[in-house]
Amino acid sequence: MIALIAVLHVVSSIQTLGSLAKEVGGDRIEVESLAKGYQDPHFVEAKPNLMLVLNRADLLVYVGLELEIGWLPPLVLGSRNPKIQVGEPGNLDCSQQIPVLDVPTVRVTRAMGDIHPLGNPHYWLPPQNARIIAREIEERLVLLDPDGRAAYQKNLAAFEARVARKEKEWGGIAAKLRGMKIATYHKSWTYLSQWLGMEEIGYVEPKPGIPPDPQHLVRLIAAMKEEGAHLLLMENFYNKSVASLVAEKAGAKLLVLPTDVRAEPSITDWVTLVEAVLKQLAAAA
Amino acid sequence: MILLALCLLAQSQADQELQKQLEKAIQADQQQTQQGQPANPPAPPAVTGSTGTVPQTLMRGAQSLNPDISAILDATMGWQRRAPQFLNGDDPNLHGDTAHALGFTAQEVEVAASAVVDPYFKGEVYLTIANLSGLEVEEAFATSTSLPWNLQVKAGSFRSAFGRQNGQHLHVQDFTRRPLINAAFLGDDGLRGPGAQVSWLAPLPFFLTFYAEALSVSNAPASIDGPLPEPVKSFGANVAQRPTLTAEAKFFLPFGEEWSLYGGLNFASGESPGLSVASGGTMGAGRQTQLFGADVYVKWKPANVAQTYGSVAFQAEVVVRHLAAGDGLADDWDGGAYGQAVVQFARRWFVGARGDLIGLPASSVTARTARGAVDLTFQGSEFMRIRAYAELEKGNISFADQSVGMLLPAVQPSWAPALFFQLEISIGAHGAHPF
Repeated sequence: MIALIAVLHVVSSIQTLGSLAKEVGGDRIEVESLAKGYQDPHFVEAKPNLMLVLNRADLLVYVGLELEIGWLPPLVLGSRNPKIQVGEPGNLDCSQQIPVLDVPTVRVTRAMGDIHPLGNPHYWLPPQNARIIAREIEERLVLLDPDGRAAYQKNLAAFEARVARKEKEWGGIAAKLRGMKIATYHKSWTYLSQWLGMEEIGYVEPKPGIPPDPQHLVRLIAAMKEEGAHLLLMENFYNKSVASLVAEKAGAKLLVLPTDVRAEPSITDWVTLVEAVLKQLAAAA
Repeated sequence: MILLALCLLAQSQADQELQKQLEKAIQADQQQTQQGQPANPPAPPAVTGSTGTVPQTLMRGAQSLNPDISAILDATMGWQRRAPQFLNGDDPNLHGDTAHALGFTAQEVEVAASAVVDPYFKGEVYLTIANLSGLEVEEAFATSTSLPWNLQVKAGSFRSAFGRQNGQHLHVQDFTRRPLINAAFLGDDGLRGPGAQVSWLAPLPFFLTFYAEALSVSNAPASIDGPLPEPVKSFGANVAQRPTLTAEAKFFLPFGEEWSLYGGLNFASGESPGLSVASGGTMGAGRQTQLFGADVYVKWKPANVAQTYGSVAFQAEVVVRHLAAGDGLADDWDGGAYGQAVVQFARRWFVGARGDLIGLPASSVTARTARGAVDLTFQGSEFMRIRAYAELEKGNISFADQSVGMLLPAVQPSWAPALFFQLEISIGAHGAHPF
């Protein structure tokens, strides 16, 4: 077997997008990711060594909807790489074809917290959206590397078939979770909740990005008890002391869940990421 | 390990405090309920004004080609025993002199606009009003986005890449005032002005970038005919005759995920504007002048904040200046440095300390001056900070031996404490800052 030298160098903002790119690109691409899987993707530090990574990129794939607004733009500018600047074929905002949730329908202000004016950017867990992202990446890879069209299409088809199989496997868990009431730390589980039919009844953060005060927590605990919310979901990059307190007082179970590939060593791709989330949910339900 | 332990300790104390407050709030809530009073209403949803999926066409249709526009205010109140001898343009100016001053100032108002110009340039404009004393163009420049060979050009009016502090705007500073060396050697407005910059990112396994700049920076003579002597007003050159030239190299090395080392070597070439003396005329104008500088920034911050929100950042800069012989003054060397440490000990709290020293060595135009400063910053959100800042400045240290600083009158009073409270707010869409 002849080893293929990668044709394209792809850089992703978060690990999951890099993993999805690898599913589609296969051996024709090599992938690097800027954020660690266990890092809050809102607050990655714009370290200059990341400019070097971007300097070598043929394609940059990122979440968009201003998730990376606090750190990615100066890195892209500082990369001195014309191929990945906004508007170029090497710059792919993966949110473009996503049915975005939590799009504000009233005028937004910072009084609402650190809100995302373009909608909720935490969209990569549901299978429907993973398929959309993979297709977007496939289209862009074909544009940049037309010779790889057949390989990319074949890889995409294989990924979609794998997702379809997994969806069937996960059907039982999803049915178990449907209608379940939950609370979450940050409002970043909306897409998962919509996919699985879970109902979010409150949040530890009173507003996105704003730390909770005791009065808000008292109200949340009361609401969790009243509504019968027995699960509190939290990303693994937040300090869990506050969430533990709330869960304890509300008689709920705290689930510290991964949100990105490589959040833990065993989570190596999108499928294992979703399975890790579902496994914990199913065990706690 | 020590840093981690200290941050974990601070985090643990904060957790215990919250637990106590929560227990108290729950008890109060239960008492209210038992007494038949209405309990707390249910928790509201975290995001208001949001519904389910909105058709993409609506969102896209709401876009415009307007640039990102923001405004930042630094509102400051303070007290000082005497006016600082070296005042940066965006330092709080209470308009005192040798008598104490007490009052308020709008330390700076900044209005910023930025956008992609076209496939070739990004444009940024920063207008500032420092201490309510007139509108200035702090920066207005275009940065290329499409040059080959890792090259980038910046053109317009901008802050030089010389050192670490000089390139930063006020709201990026960790302290209420900029360091002494900035005012003393780069000028009260910093080394900035109309010009052009070319930079090149070296194709190496680590980050190394070289910068070359030419700036037309005016350098008006500083007066020594006042209650306080002034150092060289600004670093620059006779704008009609030659540009100010600079060269910088910046490097970055990560050590694991937590530690970062960012450093630079800096050089600038200009002319001394000299000192305006009471009898009329100037002394020391036109002396060829070179600045040699080095800066280092070391930061510890875990990538994952699940253990701690803590971080520690050390920063230091040194500048050495050479003033060639001329206009009746002998060849001179002087210099200065500062070092600072800022510790984030809780999610929203930072404490910092800085030591400044200039006139090391002292020269015919720079006496030795030292300053120590501490500050405590509360970052309420990404868009608001409240800061308490205290400093103690000692002027004329080197006059004791009568060997240097002979052109300058003595600063009175020599010891000068100051205290400031600063509120900083940011509204609108402001671009992200570099590391």
